[in-house]
Amino acid sequence: MAETESESGLKIVDGFDLEPELRALLRPGELVEGIGGQCHHLPRYFYEVPTREAAREIRLTAHFGLNEFLLVDMKEASRVRAFPRYVPCAIRMTAFYLERLREATGAPVHLAVNGGYRSPAHKLSVAATPHMWGTAADVYKIGSVVLRDRASIETYNRVVEDLTDDLYVMPYGHGIGTADDHIHVDLGYVVVVPREISEDRLDRPQDRPRFAFEERRRGDRRGWPREPLPDILPAAAHTGSSESKK
Amino acid sequence: MSKPQAPPEAAPARESVAKAEQSLYASVLAIRDRHELERLGIAFYDAETTLQWSYNADAVFHAASTMKLAVLLAVFRQFTRGELTLDEPVHVRNKFVSIHDRKPYMLELNRDNEGEVYERLGRTMSVEQLAYHMITSSSNFATNLLVDAVGVPVIQTALEEMKIEGLKVLRGVEDHAAFEAGLNNEVTANGLLKLLRLIAEGRAYGEEASARMREILLDQRFKGGIPAGLPEAARVAHKSGNISTVHHDAGIVYLEGRKPYVLVVLTQFPNEAGVTTAVADVSRDIYECLAGMDGG
Repeated sequence: MAETESESGLKIVDGFDLEPELRALLRPGELVEGIGGQCHHLPRYFYEVPTREAAREIRLTAHFGLNEFLLVDMKEASRVRAFPRYVPCAIRMTAFYLERLREATGAPVHLAVNGGYRSPAHKLSVAATPHMWGTAADVYKIGSVVLRDRASIETYNRVVEDLTDDLYVMPYGHGIGTADDHIHVDLGYVVVVPREISEDRLDRPQDRPRFAFEERRRGDRRGWPREPLPDILPAAAHTGSSESKK
Repeated sequence: MSKPQAPPEAAPARESVAKAEQSLYASVLAIRDRHELERLGIAFYDAETTLQWSYNADAVFHAASTMKLAVLLAVFRQFTRGELTLDEPVHVRNKFVSIHDRKPYMLELNRDNEGEVYERLGRTMSVEQLAYHMITSSSNFATNLLVDAVGVPVIQTALEEMKIEGLKVLRGVEDHAAFEAGLNNEVTANGLLKLLRLIAEGRAYGEEASARMREILLDQRFKGGIPAGLPEAARVAHKSGNISTVHHDAGIVYLEGRKPYVLVVLTQFPNEAGVTTAVADVSRDIYECLAGMDGG
């Protein structure tokens, strides 16, 4: 089975290696049609989340835990809700952008239930929604503001649009492709493929791939000493990412 | 009015039943006139005496919140069949779709009425918590979430499986577009009586499911209907239903030292009635009638 130890004990798993029931529900690599007729391949590489406790403990960014992206109700298939659970590796990118949104608004950003990752078997997954890629988030509350009217939704949609061109925001409205009780942001159909994996593989076991950037982040969080950067870079680059953010 | 059913070998008992029936009929007519009711429907069954009595019990009424009994039945159907567990999470989201025009609508939420369900907005509650609030505080929000969770076809299937006639559930509550189009949930006194008898006798998807439904119904917060006509010691597992022109109550009455009885009272007024004691008055008359028979 192609899998690798990730930080906090998280494994990265090739969806092709999952048990048949899960594979049928997650449909790794399958082509799915969107509302507009465009087709996209579903993600194939997942983090394996072993337990509820692990989901609660694992931080994707300073303010977003993995569990926030896994919060679903009975609309999700019961096997997908059972641990170990699987979430596309692109979830980190979504968390990264939500962290930026939090910085921009200066307030906690609350994801709605069913507002993070939804498997293709989720009852709200009627077409190729980026939620199935782990690249979308439905935010129902920012700070103390519950987003359920045009003014609040359009205000925060504008904040997102000013923040980055990478995120798509759904306009306010009551029909399909609009939102009236949350803001929807997504990165589109982004698939993250672990560096060491060869995508021509169908059934050959993989080596043990690992994300290089995870090693660095882990080191940052745990306060491990980092290797000095080469002298050819400007002095500012040596201060580290956390300082440069300030 | 249906004929009372009494054991054929007990002639004195038959006489007592006949007297009780006459007395009830007279008092019900008096209540109808006194409260200026447009319509009145009553169905009653006493497990102690096996007396069964009804008045206009197949007349169809707007269900109001008594439809929540059918939703409760459907929830426990799914539970018994293993199609959902009572701890399954449901997203507490105020967005529903009208059965009339398929357009989304929201409930006008009130923190006082919805209590804990309102507080959980945006998060999840378990199926069992929602069922509890749907019945005990008559939460419309919890009801609509459960109707969505189990589905209207399942509710209707549950009623058919239990051979309950006279109850029609088309939708959740506060679907104003459907209301304007005349698409409403309906009940009859006989239909509700059948449903509650199944729960009382442990025949609504088995004893375990029935017992859990009874527990929820016994925690009812609103005591203005059937309980208001009873001694304080009486315990009532019931569900009322009130909208502007109808006031209903349907419940199982537990009194010390005797088997329970099931009573359904449906009332309809020509205009908005405000607070009325019609249901409690019927409840009191039934109780006094039975007390007289028990005493005899």
